Amino acid sequence: MTTETILWLIPLPPLLAFFLIVLLTNRSRGLSHSVAIGAAFLSWLGSMVVFVRALGVHELGRHPFAQSVPWLPTADTWLKIGVYLDPLSAAVLFFVAWTILMIFIYSVGYHNYGQSEGDHDVKGLPPHGATVTDAHGHKHKVPSVEPMYSRFFAFISLFAFGMYLLVVSDNLLTLFVGWEIMGLCSYLLIGFWYGKPSARDAAIKAFMTTRIGDVFMLLGIAFLYSATGSLSFDVIFSEKVLHTLASVPTPILGLSAAGLISLLLFIGTVGKSAQWPLHVWLPDAMEGPTPVSAMIHAATMVSAGVYAVIRMFPLLHLDAGTMSIVAFIGAFTALFAATIAVAQNDIKRVLAYSTISQLGYMIAAAGIGAYVAAAFHLITHAFFKALLFLGSGSVIHGMEHGVLHTGEHIDPQNMFNMGGLRKKMPITFWTFLIGGFALAGFPVLTAGFWSKDEILADAFAHGHLGVFVTLAVAAFLTAFYTMRQITLTFLGEPRTKAAEHAQETPWTMTLPLIVLSIFAIGYGWVGIPEHFPLLGGLLPNWFHEFVGSTLSEVPEVAPFNWTPLLTSLLVSLGGLGLGWWVYRGVRTPAEDKFQIPLLKNKWYFDEAYQFLFVRPSYWFAEKVVYLVLDKGLIDGLLHAIGHSAAVIGTTLRTYIDKAIINETIGDGTAHVIKSTGSGLRPIQSGRLQQYMVASLLVFILITGLLYYFLVLA
Amino acid sequence: MIPLSWYLFLSAALFSVGVFGVLARRNAVAILLAIELMLNAVNINLVAFWRYLTPTQMSGQVFAIIVLAVAAAEVAVGLALVISVYRRRQTAVADELDLLKW
Amino acid sequence: MDFLNAHLLSLILFFPTLAALGMLFLPKERLGLLRWYAFLTSLVPFVLSLYLWMNFDPNQPGFQFEERYVWYQAIHSTLHLGVDGLSLTMVLLTTLLTPLAILASFSITDRVKAYMMLFLFLETGMLGVFLALDLLIFFVFWEVGLVPMYFLISQWGSANRDYASLKFMIYTMGGSLGLLLSIQLLGVLFQTYDLLELYQRWNALTDGTLLGMSVSTVKAIAFWAFVIAFAIKVPVWPFHTWLPDAHTEAPTAGSMILAGVLLKLGAYGFLRLVLPLYPVEARAYAGALAFLATAAIVFGAFASYAQSDFKRLVAYSSVNHMGFVVLGIAAAALARGTADARIALNGAILQMFNHGLSAAGMFFLVGVIYERTHTRNLNDFGGLFPLVPIYGGILIFTSMASLGLPGLNGFISEFLVVRGAYPILTTYTVISMLGLLFTGAYILKGIRQVLHGPLNERWAHGEHRLTEINGREILVMAPLMVLILWIGVWPSWILDVINKAVMMLF
Repeated sequence: MTTETILWLIPLPPLLAFFLIVLLTNRSRGLSHSVAIGAAFLSWLGSMVVFVRALGVHELGRHPFAQSVPWLPTADTWLKIGVYLDPLSAAVLFFVAWTILMIFIYSVGYHNYGQSEGDHDVKGLPPHGATVTDAHGHKHKVPSVEPMYSRFFAFISLFAFGMYLLVVSDNLLTLFVGWEIMGLCSYLLIGFWYGKPSARDAAIKAFMTTRIGDVFMLLGIAFLYSATGSLSFDVIFSEKVLHTLASVPTPILGLSAAGLISLLLFIGTVGKSAQWPLHVWLPDAMEGPTPVSAMIHAATMVSAGVYAVIRMFPLLHLDAGTMSIVAFIGAFTALFAATIAVAQNDIKRVLAYSTISQLGYMIAAAGIGAYVAAAFHLITHAFFKALLFLGSGSVIHGMEHGVLHTGEHIDPQNMFNMGGLRKKMPITFWTFLIGGFALAGFPVLTAGFWSKDEILADAFAHGHLGVFVTLAVAAFLTAFYTMRQITLTFLGEPRTKAAEHAQETPWTMTLPLIVLSIFAIGYGWVGIPEHFPLLGGLLPNWFHEFVGSTLSEVPEVAPFNWTPLLTSLLVSLGGLGLGWWVYRGVRTPAEDKFQIPLLKNKWYFDEAYQFLFVRPSYWFAEKVVYLVLDKGLIDGLLHAIGHSAAVIGTTLRTYIDKAIINETIGDGTAHVIKSTGSGLRPIQSGRLQQYMVASLLVFILITGLLYYFLVLA
Repeated sequence: MIPLSWYLFLSAALFSVGVFGVLARRNAVAILLAIELMLNAVNINLVAFWRYLTPTQMSGQVFAIIVLAVAAAEVAVGLALVISVYRRRQTAVADELDLLKW
Repeated sequence: MDFLNAHLLSLILFFPTLAALGMLFLPKERLGLLRWYAFLTSLVPFVLSLYLWMNFDPNQPGFQFEERYVWYQAIHSTLHLGVDGLSLTMVLLTTLLTPLAILASFSITDRVKAYMMLFLFLETGMLGVFLALDLLIFFVFWEVGLVPMYFLISQWGSANRDYASLKFMIYTMGGSLGLLLSIQLLGVLFQTYDLLELYQRWNALTDGTLLGMSVSTVKAIAFWAFVIAFAIKVPVWPFHTWLPDAHTEAPTAGSMILAGVLLKLGAYGFLRLVLPLYPVEARAYAGALAFLATAAIVFGAFASYAQSDFKRLVAYSSVNHMGFVVLGIAAAALARGTADARIALNGAILQMFNHGLSAAGMFFLVGVIYERTHTRNLNDFGGLFPLVPIYGGILIFTSMASLGLPGLNGFISEFLVVRGAYPILTTYTVISMLGLLFTGAYILKGIRQVLHGPLNERWAHGEHRLTEINGREILVMAPLMVLILWIGVWPSWILDVINKAVMMLF
């Protein structure tokens, strides 16, 4: 098969799996996950083949794999859609395929496949555990299988379809299609346990917050499309089009058309990648099952936002104004989210804020022009963050086992209920440690160090000192809260009985952890700068050359400088050490000195948005638009018109119909006749002979008259 | 020969007696009888006119015979009604039979 | 075959009426027979219109399958029928939705015979509007469609049906008075009602005086008379308040047709009559039209968000979605002939078709749950998903189509409208994005209140136990869902026809 054909085929297996599971196999759990994993495997296989072929192409950036077909007839022309593989999408496809496959496998264990059905489990709520009797007649409470097992695999298959579609798209429209399908899936999956009001609300929050970004993005796409007449990357990124766009001014903020378009598209990313000020949905999205968090927050959806920014980089970097907005939002988010992460106690929430923070890193990197570094960090982050999320899921899973075993009523996600898990769950511990150190940027060994270092080096080299300092502080905080998390969870002694009885998770869960931890270490080595002391040049800086060739001119590698290197060594090791030192003996939240209310309550953004936007808009909708405008004004006017017709009618009836026609003419005639009749009534005496006399008189009268008129006259 | 006018006077007199009877008598039977008088006055007229004016045609006599037949039928029905009324109301006085008034 | 080809349109148009008359001879107590008779006979126009679709040549300009019969010689009105790509899609929509609506009303038990007959008459009324090429015939069918719908609402509707049906009837009739007067003006002026002739002669009339006024004034007045009649039907804000009432009170199938087809009559009127007959006025007043459309989009979304009655929520969503149709039309009026305008029109026409599918589906789904629970109050539901998983899946699917999720049909048309309108009416398009945002809010609100959250125990046990959607109801939804997905994924089969028609017309 040609590479283009494989590209067309890559997104399809998960889509087919979705329909197969929904329509046919949803009653059989085993069949459903086999279909889903089989489909994920096929896509993975396709992606690997494509990736390997892409590596073999000389100057892939100039000669990308591309093929398109006409899709929408638009007046004289057709909007074409197609597939496109350049170095950037090849690199992204690589990590997407790996993480998706790992997450699929992990889900089997996470949802307790093979365990018995729960005692009181209902659809829409997390499983509550099942009572089983062992060979000795002892009753145990063990985790029970997810009641909506098949549905989960259907949804994540659709999710995978969305991501693959987004990556292989050759145009913004199908990119947007995949983008939104992922939005739908994140809504469905965050609200997977829809019976919980918190999950339901989190799902809506996620959808609506990202939709704010999406409508701006749609505008950006419409603007771009009308300005260039095309949405295909190869057209819009051609020199001529870019030049035209850069020279057209717009009335907004003094930006050029290119700047405005990329700003609009960037707002889409702000929503999708949970950047300040649209970051609020992501921590709440932790309501979903953990593999979902890994999908959404590491491998796919949030990465899609950054991918879009990097993809649009040729357009983005044309306008300095937009670039500084992007850099500002990225850097601010990186620091801001890191401060919140320090004060969170929920193991997944810490990771959620750390994700926001790391995404801020990438956005900031793109904003200062270091787009290769951004892509590099995107990929390493995807690996180690997926690892961390899956690891945290494994921890929670082990804790749940303990909770069910002991019957304690504690939150299995709260880190202050954990402790000492390194002995109970060794594989989870070591892989989590690797992931955590990669996140903290532990020097040399981990992938996170290399990608973070490259961003810092770029920021420093290009003179963005503000960004550099902000990111360095954020990196310090990152290392600090990562070590806090590891210390609270795995080190020390168990704080609860449940933690004492925690259990290592099955191989379906640990295998993905191991695979991902290999990438969390090894992927960094493909991007070691050439001039790095000692190590530089041992391995070629493949990543920079490969992804860098996406642009027509390969960007320069930032020259080596000791300042950023020392900084990154300092913040990483310092943060890790401080985190361990502060939290080594902490047993209760009260002993935690960093539970500052402002940070704990996430800078009160939820409350502020509730007060500023959510409630006013409902008030506006109900009171102003519906009651005042529709019911009051418009219907009132209509009713007034209807009423005035009724008034005219009543008036006509009262004063003309009733008064003149009925009473005077109608009733009057009757009255005259009636009174005449009653006046004449006595004549009819009933006496025969009176009648005869009368007849005779009349006869005589008539005869007389006839005689007078006929004869005499 | 007796002139026609005499018959006519007779007839008129008889008719007048009849009219008087109809108008003035109280008893319904008597009123009926008075009606018979008036009918017979007409008969006299019919026959007289036939004899004097159109002796060649039978129509005058035929009319008179029809009138006699009708008179007989009328008396039969009339008397039956009077008897029926009398049985119900114990009176045959015409003025008291005023059920048809207003 | 020759006969069929020569009389295809009148067959499609009058077959439902004939079928309704044939129904008179069926016994009224045999409900099953009546239902199946109505359903099967309503399939005939659908099959015929599929045949029409197959034999229609989108590349040929002008009208096809034209038929012309003398109707009213004295005032020069003829029964002139014909289709082009624009009316063809609407005919297909009508003949598709009518059998589905009839199938959806199998649960009606009260006066089935009259009900089914009214539905068949209604189909003729709607088809007549789409097929007519004579202004007077257009108007006749325009009004004919009203009457069966009035009775459907007033006889088979729910609690507040008298108010709703009266409002619907009076409002629409009131709106069409001006239309009738303007049509008479044209008819008397040119001694013909034939649309093709009027297109040319009315547009050729540019200066001079008419009725003691300048021609441009007369045209402006006539333009507004047309616009108001169609705007009420669409409905454009602020003429929309009859719609939530009528939709809410109408029986399920009535709402399906009302939203699915009747609203399209107004938009079709804009496309068939207003834009071709009044290009100058349309351009002059396009700003006002765009303002109203944007108001419909934004306020429709907000009003929908404020509802606690499920059906009313869906009803207001129609205001919101039809606003995009009008926005596309306004853009086309302003920049007629440009590629942007044509893209906007493509979007508007496709949006008409798409809204027909998704709104009919939404109303049907509301009806399904209303039939079982006898309540439409969103606060009475909650957590029903575990009880009715299939229904829940279908509801989410259809809601997402209504929301405009990419990959489903609504997105394509909304995107095309936004794309086309953006360069022409930038400000209004940007404001309408607010409506698009709140589309998400109200759709999610509906799903949230019905399916998600803690289960309302009332529906879980005993006599109120909610039953799953049954086979017949799935059969109603299946064609709609297939089309929704098909158009969403590969729209060119229908969009190509629309596009070519738009290229020729505008």
